[in-house]
Amino acid sequence: MDVKEWCMCCGECAGVCPRNLIEVREISLKFDEKECKDCRICVQVCPVQALEK
Amino acid sequence: MIETDVLVIGAGPAGSSAAKYATLGGAKVILMDKKSEIGTPKRCAEGVSKEGLEKLGIEPSGRWVTKEATGVRMVSPNGTAVNLTEDKVKLPEAGYVLERKVFDKHMAMDAARAGAKIMVKTLATGLRREDGQVLVSAESMGEEFEIKSKIIIAADGPESRVGRWAGLKTSLKPKNMESCAQFEMSGVNMEEPDCIEFHFGSVAPGGYAWMFPKGDDIANVGLGVLTTLTDKSAYQHLLDFVANNPSTKNAQPVELNIGGDPVGGLLKKLVADNVLVTGDAAGMVNPLTGGGIISGMTGGLLAGKLAAQAVAEGDFSHKRLKVYEKQCEEEIGESFQKYLKAKSYLLSLSDEELDSIATAFKDINFESVDTKEMIKKLVKISPKALLKLGKLF
Repeated sequence: MDVKEWCMCCGECAGVCPRNLIEVREISLKFDEKECKDCRICVQVCPVQALEK
Repeated sequence: MIETDVLVIGAGPAGSSAAKYATLGGAKVILMDKKSEIGTPKRCAEGVSKEGLEKLGIEPSGRWVTKEATGVRMVSPNGTAVNLTEDKVKLPEAGYVLERKVFDKHMAMDAARAGAKIMVKTLATGLRREDGQVLVSAESMGEEFEIKSKIIIAADGPESRVGRWAGLKTSLKPKNMESCAQFEMSGVNMEEPDCIEFHFGSVAPGGYAWMFPKGDDIANVGLGVLTTLTDKSAYQHLLDFVANNPSTKNAQPVELNIGGDPVGGLLKKLVADNVLVTGDAAGMVNPLTGGGIISGMTGGLLAGKLAAQAVAEGDFSHKRLKVYEKQCEEEIGESFQKYLKAKSYLLSLSDEELDSIATAFKDINFESVDTKEMIKKLVKISPKALLKLGKLF
């Protein structure tokens, strides 16, 4: 997952991830890429389009 | 290893409320938050009802109330406004516009004064069960450690992972998560500076836009959209709204806030062995307005009290904690049902229908009008809108 520098770590992506693979830290996101099934729901909901697969 | 009776994860209003009431109930409590500053950044329009605060026994303080809002102004897509004021009609949502950065800290301070230990900049990274208790792995300032607790209260917001670690289905579908963006702006020239303002229709597909006054020329100007109904991001919709609204023509942003708002209603399962879920993580957000401070704090209060009782009894099982779901349904969930219906109705209306409804009601005296008269007006102005309403009930 390409997380753009303007990501504000709001966590909306984590809330909709059906596999609970996104860890929202205070100033960064951590994706478990190995388990990701590429559903891209996280990309869809980002309020500032900061995620790109 | 750190040991405690109750570990509350997330120090928003719901978590702090849970920590406070668990402590007051006699439990040893830790309240942890991943952020270095509780309440920052805000992800909220900052509105709270007077009635709700009163019910929770919280005295409004000049430290965190920025403005008292005495009415609601609802604006249709073509700019027709319906104004409702507190002196003419009962408005449960009218109240105060807060400074959340201060409010949240004060709620956490209340928990601390009650006796809770607070850990900031501490992130929960996992959860496992051992000997009838829960071990939460955590990280703080480069240090990794475990916290052993009899009960966990997950108040970790809409992105909640804790509930899912415990086996609860707290993840949301995009259709139940409003994607929100907001500017705090100065130079805002609101038509009714004492009213909170809502804008409906295609300006915010699946949601609405808002202006919440914070005194002088300052306001939170934001919106929430369902990303299932639009190709644009919430931020792009916000830029359009601000550019096209006369009230924000000369306004400048001093802060940008974004975040998700879970608007699908209260989750059905809020309890597992040793675990209670509360606040946004539990869907304790009014599905129509997106407001979740009071309902979250109510849920936190219920969770905290129950956790303390369960600790005192030495029973942290799902069976013992299950009463929490019933309490939350009665206190929070039941009222959400009508809001879910109202939201469905609102989302079913086209811009033209919203305009015709606003035109029908803009000059109405809500103090003296009865339901029959309102229906008559709706039949006359927009029979289609009335038909949609009828299908819901």
